[in-house]
Amino acid sequence: MSTVTAGEAARLSGWRTYLRNLWRWREFGWFLAMGNLMARNASTSLGLFWWVINPLIMAGIYFLVFGVIFDGRSGEEHFIAWLLSGVFVFNYTATAMTSGANSILANGRLLVNIRFPRLVLPLSAVVETGIGFVLSIAVYYVIAWPANGVAPGPGLVWLPAAFALHTLFNLGLAAWTARLAIPFRDINNLIPHITRLWFYLSPIIWPLSLIESRGGWMEQIASLNPMFGMLSFYRTALMGRPLDTGAFLLTLAWALLIGLGGILSFVRHEGNMARHL
Amino acid sequence: MSSAVVSVNGVGVRYRAYVERNSTLRRAAARGRLRETAVVVALEDVSFEVQRGETLGLIGDNGAGKSTLLRVIARTMRPDSGSVAVRGETSTLLQLGAGFNLELSGSRNVYLSGLAHGLRKAEINRLFGDIVDFAGVAEAIDRPLKSYSSGMVSRLAFSISMHLMPDILLLDEVLAVGDAGFREKSRSAMRELLARGGTVMVASHALRMMVQMCDRVLWLDRGRVRGLGQAETVIEAYTRSLPPAAG
Repeated sequence: MSTVTAGEAARLSGWRTYLRNLWRWREFGWFLAMGNLMARNASTSLGLFWWVINPLIMAGIYFLVFGVIFDGRSGEEHFIAWLLSGVFVFNYTATAMTSGANSILANGRLLVNIRFPRLVLPLSAVVETGIGFVLSIAVYYVIAWPANGVAPGPGLVWLPAAFALHTLFNLGLAAWTARLAIPFRDINNLIPHITRLWFYLSPIIWPLSLIESRGGWMEQIASLNPMFGMLSFYRTALMGRPLDTGAFLLTLAWALLIGLGGILSFVRHEGNMARHL
Repeated sequence: MSSAVVSVNGVGVRYRAYVERNSTLRRAAARGRLRETAVVVALEDVSFEVQRGETLGLIGDNGAGKSTLLRVIARTMRPDSGSVAVRGETSTLLQLGAGFNLELSGSRNVYLSGLAHGLRKAEINRLFGDIVDFAGVAEAIDRPLKSYSSGMVSRLAFSISMHLMPDILLLDEVLAVGDAGFREKSRSAMRELLARGGTVMVASHALRMMVQMCDRVLWLDRGRVRGLGQAETVIEAYTRSLPPAAG
């Protein structure tokens, strides 16, 4: 006998049951993720290659503008590796936010008709994006190695940890945007602007020396950005850079806060989602 | 001991309908509030029970709350007040255009729908042939759903729902689906479901058909229970309440 009472949210079935249900619906999430991955470029002649070509073109444009025209290379010895790692890592987060916001709206008809743990939807959006990101790491080496001589090193043992932390952070963001996009559709218009600003505030197209030369306060403010420590962690893994421990610990806190907070908030409100669709 | 499969106790659902369909930031700032809304009462203090093996009909005008009530019982929507107790593990809600992705092929939609209902892929593999045969869409199963006729889509949806072997089948305006042959097939499938102790709730405007198939009928009027009882009696009362032109 199962009872649904007004006002009961996550307590409805308890966290253990929720996680067990999430596991039971794992094939559904995987099916959605793979279906979208295949469908997105199914009618293009290059098909799945677009997952790799898109970030490459993006990185190429940034290289032309900020590397060549603005000569950003001067402050960073391995500028191409720096740029590619930054663009690819940031792209995972930006795409997770966008597809998270769409995940509930795009599956509105399923949501209204069928009972399943709603977290499957943003989760599969993140899985889908994560697969594209893993592919782009291979591309990173194909280019950064010959161009900058950045070969895979012992730092690579940190890559799974960086990926796990990053994915938790992205899942939280996707859950927040998914939950907010339902009553407040404006969020879809805001996300591109937020991500663009965030991109320029993160050490992707500019080297660390740029803020180091400006004095302490600017560096301190810049390192509050969760992407700061995230990129430092990734570049330890991908480029053998020393880890900025302070920034990393801050990012760890961010990932737990955004990740767990986003998931909790999403699950607390998922019973109300159907009525907004 | 009561053999109630579904117990609905004092259920109320209110929607906040947007006065402006898409609220914008600028208008919100001008109002000093996030969005302008009006409260719409969809269900108000609804209570009843459904017994095992019973077919309960839901009637009422458009907007009376029939679809909302079925969603609350299917537990895709949480009520604002009251409670719903459902005995029996599985319930399936079937509405027109339910949960399909028109861009995907028929077979991918079968898997999508089955997996969303919590089935394992292996279970769907086993049911797949039966589902497709019952729906009579075998030759079209690899085509995208958007190339199907509306009758084919409805038959496929109905076939999936029946093969999920629900204990409680909730039908929302999908009774008169398909041609005469398919209708006979679906009616016998529903009889089978009732015979193995299943329960059917059906919302429809097809009153004559409702008299034939329902044991009891619940009449909803602007979110409230206006009548509940023997099918003929309630449907007759409902028909009498309609303005002559519409009746």
